[in-house]
Amino acid sequence: MTQAATPEHERWPGASLRATAVSRSFEGIRALDGVTLELHRREVVGLIGPNGAGKTTLVNVMTGFDRPTAGSVELEGREITSWTPHRRGRAGLARTFQHSHSFGSLSVRENVEVAALGVGARPREARRRATELLDLLGIERKADARATTLAHGDERKLEVARALAIEPRFVLMDEPAAGLPEGEIPDFVRVLRTVRDEQGAGVLLIDHNMALVMQVCDRIHVLDQGRTLAEGSPDAVRGNLDVTAAYLGESAANGSTASAPS
Amino acid sequence: MTDRRGSLELIGPVLALALAGIVGSTGFVDPALENEFKGALVSVAIVVALYVFVGNSGVVSFGHVSFVAVGAFAAGVMTVPVALKPTITPGLFAFLGEHSVGNLASLALAAVLGGLFALVVGIPLMRLSGLAAGIATFAVLGVTYNILNNWEKIGPGPLTLTTIPETTGLLQATIGAIAVVAVAFAYQRSRYGRKLRASREDPAAARAAGIDIHRERLWAFALSGALSGLAGGLLVHLAGTLQARDVYLDLTFLTLAMLVVGGVGSLWGAVVGALAVSALDSFLLRAESGEVGFVDDLLGKPLWGGSRLVGVALFMAVVLVFLPQGLTRGREFHLPRLGRRRAVAQESSA
Repeated sequence: MTQAATPEHERWPGASLRATAVSRSFEGIRALDGVTLELHRREVVGLIGPNGAGKTTLVNVMTGFDRPTAGSVELEGREITSWTPHRRGRAGLARTFQHSHSFGSLSVRENVEVAALGVGARPREARRRATELLDLLGIERKADARATTLAHGDERKLEVARALAIEPRFVLMDEPAAGLPEGEIPDFVRVLRTVRDEQGAGVLLIDHNMALVMQVCDRIHVLDQGRTLAEGSPDAVRGNLDVTAAYLGESAANGSTASAPS
Repeated sequence: MTDRRGSLELIGPVLALALAGIVGSTGFVDPALENEFKGALVSVAIVVALYVFVGNSGVVSFGHVSFVAVGAFAAGVMTVPVALKPTITPGLFAFLGEHSVGNLASLALAAVLGGLFALVVGIPLMRLSGLAAGIATFAVLGVTYNILNNWEKIGPGPLTLTTIPETTGLLQATIGAIAVVAVAFAYQRSRYGRKLRASREDPAAARAAGIDIHRERLWAFALSGALSGLAGGLLVHLAGTLQARDVYLDLTFLTLAMLVVGGVGSLWGAVVGALAVSALDSFLLRAESGEVGFVDDLLGKPLWGGSRLVGVALFMAVVLVFLPQGLTRGREFHLPRLGRRRAVAQESSA
């Protein structure tokens, strides 16, 4: 399942989610400092960097859970910097959370259905999407279980299923594969490719698993201390010595499960 | 399949209410108790109306009796016979003083006004959550009470409104309570109710899924206000008289206690709590007035005055200590499913 010769963003330049020169300060600390990142449809962009680099803050700013102190966010040419999260959700912008969120007392299936209802799907359509997504993520056997009873790995998958239930044009995933057993990574890669190639969504992927990131991403964006350190193809980024110093060294020291404050 | 199992959840509340109506009417019990049964059914209507907002949104409202009060005054004032109005409520606006409506029309009016009032009040209040929301709704109750207690152009002011037709018989009380339960059930199964319940569980995930929490809360608040107004109409047609303080702090405490005792998280909890606390409340009230023989024999006199609210409060505290999620533990009514439970146990032990 290889990409078509002409990526969609070259045919249709407006189809992107773009953060332009965004900064975000928390009581004097610059979590983001003039970061520009563009995500096109039908591509997977990796967002990597050491803990505290500002990855989650960037996702929060792009999805409306946080406001930038400077800079702007645009969705397909529309300025959305001041839009609420739910309005962005309805416009096709989805996210997953670094720490799993779920509608705890609802069943797994209801969790996915209600996310579809949230963006205006009818109940029958919501049920269809839930069936399809639970199947895609491989948690269809847990459909009737309460969300709170899920094991960590299944919780991460439900997080992704819920984000996909809004049929997003762009989906920002904050460490969706953290804690998945190594053996399940290929399944997750398949999910990401389905989302990109069949649903045509743009995916921003934060992950500490460098093998996964290098394998699945079309482009990679590296943050360090709130600034863009490098961006480009996986090969180009891999070759960047700064990245090796800032990221790979750090991640080797911390282990891959350590996580940045959100 | 989920739908059929879901509809079973409605059976428990409806059967419980129908049973209360039948037991109250068959002479099975002392006819003097009939009013207690009617009162319990009307309490169910009030508590379920409160539940529609509090249970589904997870936001506490201490002000819901405001909407009961609006419904009660609307239905009361508009059903006093026109001929008596100049004597009983001489200060009314002309258009209120010169017209009266029938029982059903007054109930509809109570529901509409309760809903509109909640909608207007809810537009600013629904932006709040947690303690701020609770206190703000309480402020609404204070404002409502003082307006009703002083403004003689819309009601009796500080006096008692009398000669209200006592049209809430057992049948009307039963049908009214079942109707409120049915609407509450339909709402919580609708996509609006489901979205609001999701936001109760996890606001951030709900917003990420496009759910406008303020809007969903506002709809629930308005619906809850309309049902409260209807319940207020039922209440006033039960008592036949009305003062502003009848629909103020005592009723607020009692109905919140009912909801909490039954379990805030489920419709079944609202119904069970309202019935259980009503039973206790009626018993203590009658014991206070010397109508319960064995209490008189035991104490040599009627129960001390004030025992009623003390008893209800103690009961609530005890339930909360042992069952923090209420008597129903926040679950909907379900038939025992032994076979299924065994299957689940096997699966989890495997």
